[in-house]
Amino acid sequence: MIEFDHVSFSFPDKNVLEDISFRMEDGEFVGILGPNGGGKSTFLRLALGLLKPSKGKVIWKERKISYIAQTTSMADASFPATVEEIVSLGLVDSHLSFPSKEKKAKVKEMLERLNLTSLRGKNIQELSGGQQQRVKVAKALIGSPSLLVLDEPDAGMDEESHECLVTQINSLKDNGVGILFVSHHPEDLKKADHIYFIEDGKILTYEKEISRGHHHVEL
Amino acid sequence: MWNSEFMIVALIVSLLFGLLMPLAGGPAVYKRLSSSGDALSHSALAGVAIGLAAGLNTLWTSLAACFVSLLLLELIRSRFSKYAEVGVSVVFALAVGLAGILSSYTNASSFDSYLFGSVLLVSKEELYLTIVLTVVALLFTIFFTPQIFASLYSPSESRVAKIPTRILNFVEDLLLALTIALGSKIVGSLVVSSMVVLPTAMALQLKKGYKVTLVVSEIFSVLMMGSGLILSYYADWKPGATIVTLAVIVLLLFVGGRAIYERIVMKQRSKKEETASLEK
Repeated sequence: MIEFDHVSFSFPDKNVLEDISFRMEDGEFVGILGPNGGGKSTFLRLALGLLKPSKGKVIWKERKISYIAQTTSMADASFPATVEEIVSLGLVDSHLSFPSKEKKAKVKEMLERLNLTSLRGKNIQELSGGQQQRVKVAKALIGSPSLLVLDEPDAGMDEESHECLVTQINSLKDNGVGILFVSHHPEDLKKADHIYFIEDGKILTYEKEISRGHHHVEL
Repeated sequence: MWNSEFMIVALIVSLLFGLLMPLAGGPAVYKRLSSSGDALSHSALAGVAIGLAAGLNTLWTSLAACFVSLLLLELIRSRFSKYAEVGVSVVFALAVGLAGILSSYTNASSFDSYLFGSVLLVSKEELYLTIVLTVVALLFTIFFTPQIFASLYSPSESRVAKIPTRILNFVEDLLLALTIALGSKIVGSLVVSSMVVLPTAMALQLKKGYKVTLVVSEIFSVLMMGSGLILSYYADWKPGATIVTLAVIVLLLFVGGRAIYERIVMKQRSKKEETASLEK
């Protein structure tokens, strides 16, 4: 469960979110839509505890969260890492750990599940934007999270990778994993229990927005 | 060369620094803060100038100056995260200014020796400190490689996975500051500020994984430190200047060689594709 209780967030020169109240139950699929710069990423960072609210409070129940951050492929382009190494990062936490057969088997299984086996030894720089995103999804899923938070993971994805991502998310939803998904594509959110718009620092439910005629979203 | 004790000690210290510098400098390169090595090495010089002017132990004053600069860098970075590079420039400018002013109160020749180091005149205290620092850096890297790698790859995703990225960052920065402070006195600020960056820059050319890049940077660094010192002995050059020049030449040769190799491979590939399409 994640709950926002009258949360506001501002930078010294800008109010980003104003008086947001929101609640997400365990196992729910919540989609977030909205224009760029509207406050979607800030909302997610608050939900993850990466930012502290300027006003109000965020309450969440302890759970295993995987997060796919919004990054450009440029950020990955200069980092030396193979596909296999990145996927195995999904198993890393604060505890000391060493390579084991069990971990190797998990990585192998995840690579197979996301059609990445043939790319396992490749450097991330050699992959297309879509393939890079698929690697990030594999990294997020390998730790068997109870909540998956995605911040526009489909940026730069080709059609095949995009389809693979949506299939994975929908199957996670069916298995009781909570999904908090910021997307530019309303069609990705067909299985969502709730869809919200975040625009100009305010959160609005999809139904409300449609009734006000502000947005024309075809699901 | 092998008969003189001071050369053997110099070689051991150089090889230890060869191991230490990529471990301390690699994370800074990945965080795109390679120039913080320059800022810290100039802070070490300012510390040396303070020590010489005040008649204190220069090793400890340079360590203290590096530590203060590190805190200043962290403060600027946390307050103005978007302008991390500006913070580096501010500390760099302050260190150069202070070192310049305070060097007026010191013996110029002893101050100059810190630019190129005095690897042939290593004290027991410096040797032991180098051994301890290298062992600590090696243990930190061996035990925390997954966490270090994760926090460098994506700090925000790592924080969500409860990896203590801030503590790791601080330890990485502290190792860098200590390496530079100690290295400025022993191998020279020129060597240490370049060699915390060059091995990783060289290994990155291979475009391999994180672990391979780390191992290759270690091998390159140890080879350059060892061969640079031996070359300087026979050519009667300054050890620090020889090591850095040799490392840069090897790096440039490798980058050039790789560019030529890639061009040849690309040409062969396009020729093959052309022949294949003609055959079709």
